[in-house]
Amino acid sequence: MSLHLPCPHCGADVVFRSPALPSRVCDSCRSMLVRSDEGIAQFGIAAVLPFDVSPVQIGMRGIADGASFEVIGRVRWSWTDGAWNEWLLLFDDDGSTAWLGEAMGQFMLLRERPFREVRSKTLTEMAKGGTAKIGQKVELLGRKLVIADARQALCVTAEGELPFTATSGWQVYNVDLRGREGECVSLQRDGKDVSFYQGRYVTLAELAPRGLRAIEGWALPDYAA
Amino acid sequence: MQPEASLSPPPAPAVRALSCPNCGGTVELRAAGYTVHVGCQYCGSILDATDGLAKLVIKAQTALAYPEIPLGTRGTLFDVEWEAIGYLQRSQNGAYRWDEYLLFNPYHGYRWLVNARGGWSFGTMLTRVPTMQTFSTYALEGTSYTRFFRGDAQVDRVVGEFYWRVAVGETVKTGDWVRPGFMLSREANDREISWTINQWLPERDVVAAFGVTPAAKVWPPLPHQPSPWGAWLGKGARIGGIALAFLLLVSLLLSGTRWLASEALPVAVDGREQSATIGPVHLVSRWQRVRVRTTVPRLENGWVDLDYSLIDRRNQQVYAASGAAERYEGVDSDGPWTEGSRDSDVSIAGVPAGDYDLIVEYKGNRWSQNDTAYPDGGWMEPTNAPQIVVELGTGTLYAGNFLLALLLIAFPWFVGLMLHLRFEKARKEQSDFAPAASGDGDD
Repeated sequence: MSLHLPCPHCGADVVFRSPALPSRVCDSCRSMLVRSDEGIAQFGIAAVLPFDVSPVQIGMRGIADGASFEVIGRVRWSWTDGAWNEWLLLFDDDGSTAWLGEAMGQFMLLRERPFREVRSKTLTEMAKGGTAKIGQKVELLGRKLVIADARQALCVTAEGELPFTATSGWQVYNVDLRGREGECVSLQRDGKDVSFYQGRYVTLAELAPRGLRAIEGWALPDYAA
Repeated sequence: MQPEASLSPPPAPAVRALSCPNCGGTVELRAAGYTVHVGCQYCGSILDATDGLAKLVIKAQTALAYPEIPLGTRGTLFDVEWEAIGYLQRSQNGAYRWDEYLLFNPYHGYRWLVNARGGWSFGTMLTRVPTMQTFSTYALEGTSYTRFFRGDAQVDRVVGEFYWRVAVGETVKTGDWVRPGFMLSREANDREISWTINQWLPERDVVAAFGVTPAAKVWPPLPHQPSPWGAWLGKGARIGGIALAFLLLVSLLLSGTRWLASEALPVAVDGREQSATIGPVHLVSRWQRVRVRTTVPRLENGWVDLDYSLIDRRNQQVYAASGAAERYEGVDSDGPWTEGSRDSDVSIAGVPAGDYDLIVEYKGNRWSQNDTAYPDGGWMEPTNAPQIVVELGTGTLYAGNFLLALLLIAFPWFVGLMLHLRFEKARKEQSDFAPAASGDGDD
């Protein structure tokens, strides 16, 4: 399945593990590469990731809903009031992917779902270019959710393998909804394209992580033993 | 377990130093990547550190804050090491000041360490939303919390780093609901509503973790401070209940009478007053109850008057008691009937140890009516061999002892209960919803 190719920019070995993830950033020279039938195309150089103390890193493994995964990519987003990470998880069994959103020290596990399944007037209007109203209640897929956040998000940079090319400066409109039991829904609008994600809040501990990033002066937590 | 070789590069640095664009002081960034705003500890300017650079947002505030726990201090609470990275001084419109420390551990995220009037709490931001249960209660994970405070909270002073755009003067609407040991807090502005669960911390835990100076007793107690008497009362009620049940059982088992003397005395047919002395009787306990039981086996349609004098041989002290046995029978429209009893049972309490004589004075009587079954001497006919049987005994325990034990056991518990009620009263009086408070009448 995995495809090993030399980076057209620096010649280092780059791995494409899934046809569903055609985009990646070269680990050595940070070139943004896209794989197609014609070969590899280069889209400039990804910006350097700012220094952070996130406990997650590419290569970290864990278990979600009984299935084991590996962290293979990350996109860092920012907005007027801060920044957050979206880590891409690749599941071993079926090759499916999920996103582990990391913001304010909390984690959300989200899977992409087809937006056509969503029959919510409010969200349909948002998908068409409407503006979300914070605090508005939305009934979605049989659950009562509240619009918790709506903002223009700016892609800072990316690393690893990704389903799309995340160029610095790329802007999307992002709406987050929350449920009473820790359910989360996220909607991203990029021009006319809408992506829809659904999931829940998780703790790092419940993902039974292995290969957490070591941070100077901090003992690895008990749950990572 | 050994980490895989490929996953163990040198550890990432934990701290990044920035220099304050206003005063040039070194500002340490301890939660890089999460931190949005930093309050410079030297000049109080607010800096934006979202992208790893320090950009001045608000230049030097008027007053600097000096947190009791210096930022960068680490301490262990609930088995996790935390670093104090941010400090906020907050108040309700300038009154009721309290302090909040933002704690951070890269593997566990953020927590709050709150100090109000010297009492400490450990706050965790909730990812679930509590549900309104009734007009005055909210529920979280099956537990309910009763409303306590409502008001505004503003930020007065800021030092260190925060994961949001912190600003002096920033105001949120707050609401607090409590149960013993825990407070559920809601903060809302026009952008978002966030919920935090605050766990009350014993001061010794915070002293041990962060080396704070112990404060004076927190009085009135914090809204969610558990009554120090609460657990003790519950345990006391259980243990006391068991002890009392045991005592009651022992009393019932041992409170029987030990019989010391018994004597049959004849009853004269002419019904004159008679006297007899029984004794000596030796009483061994320091204090005892003396029981005298007299049975008249043949008694029928008559009565016997009984006067007892228990006399201490040593000092002629007299303990007197009296009784009577009476019994009647007959036939009326409802059939045969009987009334009364053939014995008399009296007790003399508080008799000291010693040798005693019991003098019994008794007088047989009969009820004479034309239609009685005994037209002559009745039950006192000599052919009946009428007699009284007097028995004397001592009781080892009786209800008084039990009551005394009950008082002794219950007294400390009641003292505890009083202290508990005083604590709870003082605690509840602080509430915006306390029944006694005149309130602002807006609920």
